[in-house]
Amino acid sequence: MSPKTIQFQLGLGACLAAAFLVLWAIPNWVSSPSNVSNIVLAPVFWPYALSGITGLVGLGLLLAARGASPVPDAEAEPAADDGLSWVRLSALAVIMVATMFALPRLGMVWTAMIVFVLTAFLFRTRHPITALICAVVIPLALYLFFAKVAGVAIPQGIFVRLP
Amino acid sequence: MKHTTLTFAVTAAALLGATAAYADYPTRAINMVIPYGAGGATDISARTISEPLGAAVGKPLVMANITGAGGATGSVAVQNASADGYTMLFARVGSHSVNPAMKATLPYGLEDFRFVTVYEINPVACAVRPASGITSMDQLIAKVAEGGISYSSSGVGSMPHLASAMVLSEFGVADPLTDATHIPQKGGGAAITAVLNGTSTFVCTNSSALASFVANKQLTPLLVTTAEPVVGFDAPTANQLGKDKLNQLVGWTGIAGPDDLPDDVAAKWGEWMAAATADPKFRETMEARGSVIELMDPVKANEFIQGQYDTFRTLVEDLGMRIEG
Amino acid sequence: MSFIDSLMAGLSLVASVEAFLALFVGIVIGVIGGAIPGLSATMAVALTLPFTFSMQPITGILLLLGVYKGGIFGGCIPAILIKTPGTPASSATILDGHPMAERGEAGRALGMALWASCTADLVSNLALILFAGWLASFALNFGPPEFFALILFSLTIIAGVSGDSLLRGALSALLGLLLATVGLDLVYGTNRFTFGDPNMMGGLNFIAVLIGLFAIPEIIAMAWNPTAHLGKARALGNAKVTIKDYIASFRSILRGSLIGVFLGSIPGIGAAPSAFLSYSEARRKSKNKANFGKGEIEGVAASEAGNNGVAGATLIPLLALGVPGDVITAIIIGAFMVHGLQPGPMMFILNVDIIYGLFIGLIVSSVFLFIVGSVAIKGFRFVADVPKRILMPAVLILCIYGVFAVNNNIFDVGVMFAMGWVGYVMMRYRIPAAPFLIAFILGPLLEDNFRQSMLMSGSDPSILLRGPITWFFWAMTLLTIAAIGRAIMRKQAV
Repeated sequence: MSPKTIQFQLGLGACLAAAFLVLWAIPNWVSSPSNVSNIVLAPVFWPYALSGITGLVGLGLLLAARGASPVPDAEAEPAADDGLSWVRLSALAVIMVATMFALPRLGMVWTAMIVFVLTAFLFRTRHPITALICAVVIPLALYLFFAKVAGVAIPQGIFVRLP
Repeated sequence: MKHTTLTFAVTAAALLGATAAYADYPTRAINMVIPYGAGGATDISARTISEPLGAAVGKPLVMANITGAGGATGSVAVQNASADGYTMLFARVGSHSVNPAMKATLPYGLEDFRFVTVYEINPVACAVRPASGITSMDQLIAKVAEGGISYSSSGVGSMPHLASAMVLSEFGVADPLTDATHIPQKGGGAAITAVLNGTSTFVCTNSSALASFVANKQLTPLLVTTAEPVVGFDAPTANQLGKDKLNQLVGWTGIAGPDDLPDDVAAKWGEWMAAATADPKFRETMEARGSVIELMDPVKANEFIQGQYDTFRTLVEDLGMRIEG
Repeated sequence: MSFIDSLMAGLSLVASVEAFLALFVGIVIGVIGGAIPGLSATMAVALTLPFTFSMQPITGILLLLGVYKGGIFGGCIPAILIKTPGTPASSATILDGHPMAERGEAGRALGMALWASCTADLVSNLALILFAGWLASFALNFGPPEFFALILFSLTIIAGVSGDSLLRGALSALLGLLLATVGLDLVYGTNRFTFGDPNMMGGLNFIAVLIGLFAIPEIIAMAWNPTAHLGKARALGNAKVTIKDYIASFRSILRGSLIGVFLGSIPGIGAAPSAFLSYSEARRKSKNKANFGKGEIEGVAASEAGNNGVAGATLIPLLALGVPGDVITAIIIGAFMVHGLQPGPMMFILNVDIIYGLFIGLIVSSVFLFIVGSVAIKGFRFVADVPKRILMPAVLILCIYGVFAVNNNIFDVGVMFAMGWVGYVMMRYRIPAAPFLIAFILGPLLEDNFRQSMLMSGSDPSILLRGPITWFFWAMTLLTIAAIGRAIMRKQAV
């Protein structure tokens, strides 16, 4: 992406976000009691003020976009050469959502092992054996440390409980 | 062959699980949720009792602080846990009588919990800073009439918030919400600091939190809410001032489980608590901090909390303090 | 008692093997605890507290102080090596520490962090011993209006960490401010953006946001292009910090220490803003201004001096007033109480031997910190040599465990993931993460103190200018804004 595109998209995004906050989100999702004595003390005052400034910054970015260079520069993040970048990105998102479901059911240790293996292979590791060993050892070692030394109640899940 | 062994093992385990459900409770570590942050009154109380209590239980007690929203986040975690006695809550005056009385949007109520004990009572004291020139409740009330009096608390719907309103109302201030200003702070320590640096005029909170400031003469105590005087506090008791109703205004710490906690489990907790609170070292540590050790069995604990809740609820309704929305 | 008598009395208290052993063990626990993201210095101190109940008061308190100081330093190790701050206070260290590690200079960055930390620690302890009474009474002049002015001034740091576009920095800060409004309202207790979820009512967990914003985007970027890092030197190499580095950064270290002492002695601010303020001041004054944020060793020195400078100074309000300055000292105050000690002015009269014992212990702690820190750096260096595609899954697992441990809440792991994607989008759109973080820390303080001021005065805004302290910070704020404005003008003129 060129600096111009970045500035333009960001400015547009900020303006839309500010409009959404002011018109929909704050009236609906911030409750303010009816007996507020002064507007500056109301719970909605601060969110409204911030949304307003966000809108202004958005406009500023749109203005700045006019003068920015339309040519992509060196800092741009190149996608991987195998063309699977978006696939991997979505896969990682799926892994994260699945983790949230698995944590209370499978328990943290087993979930962590699965996540480790999946992500290591998602990143096309060059050391598959090491990855597998680490996938078993690291979650267990962390469990021992957090549960036994630090006394944290690591979620155990409903299937196999660790001592 | 392998299959049959497995089936047998599973059936046996299931049977064992059904019959011996609570006879040998607990069979593993018990998860104890502390709904307030490390270093707070609840946390220190919980961690102090965990030692003798763990010895009485015979299985490890895993302490878990789940902080947030004035104790609501941790309380909800226990409310939603299965009632097998392996997830219990350190309930506190703020999370389980003031909050339910004041907040309409609270995601739980008293009926969602079964209290197995209350083991600690904290007298509440009100204090001002010496520079204010106030030395008695009468003077404070007189100044309220003049205006410009404020009180701090550890947040909206916290015990110090309700305590100040209740004290003012008992001493005849018609409308404590508008005659005096409430300046909420984030946390109990900040509430006291606010009085020290003159942000607010007075604070009413646990005597243990005020003890060191009173001993150092940085704060002047005006009142303690118990019938008995509190050591180190050179201030009249509520009864001496003829406000017996304020005796209800005390802090407490107890233990609760989800509402469908089995009777056997509750009974076991009763026994364990009796053993734990008899520990001399525990008593010594707690009393050094200004707590009164008073053990209540499950029935009495429920009555006590319900009674305090009803008092607070009436007050909140009368003053129009209930937080809606 | 004269000063010498007090000193001797204190010496006789600490001159035991147990006291020094406790201090040493405490620092070791602290460095390890601080180096594990999510465990943080706070948790480490809380976990150590029960062990101190059965000890002599001075031994127990020294143990806790050791954990505290070790923890604040330990946080910089993962910040530099894996871009995951071990404690919130070390998030400023990431800005330059991690780029240095990427360049193969992790050893140099860690070494500088240690030297800066120990120097700041010493300065802070000396400030505590020499100026405790004076600084404490000064700190009591800070009411909500003074806080408001101070925090407003601190928000100008954002300009210093915004990188090449001030507008994008401002956008980042606004996002942080908006997300910080989630939770229960301070004054009315009503819900703001909570959707009725009790997990949201407590607000978004700070550590979860922090780790999500810094560590997770790296992992997501790895999914985008798993081989992008190949060919970049990452091995630790033999780059070590030199005396020359130290001297070159000495002014920044000293300035950072003093900022730390000042902010530490005021209850309620904490080490993270101090580190950022020290960093941005160092950047403003430095010759290598352009190199800040790309791996400038002076940046590491400044931020570590800023956060360790707080460690001794937070004891000023604790000892002199009995007021805990942050969560950690609130726990430490518990250890005093359990032993029947009541911190405050009277303690300087009644328990002067303990006070001086603590002072001696504190001075020694800077030396111990240096020893333990040097060993820890050697121990953790191997992390820099781990292949990145094994390291990243391990970091992800560590973050899951750590973020859960902060508040024993699986919801926070979700917050971390979500913030990770926000952070990744920000990275792609070149929005700097540091302004977000500063705003997320300072935003609630700014709003709360503003509203508390309004409550105090009955909504009369003139209270915001009520005394010399407020005037001073307002003037500083205006001057800084003017300087920023001038810099922008000059840039456009070129």
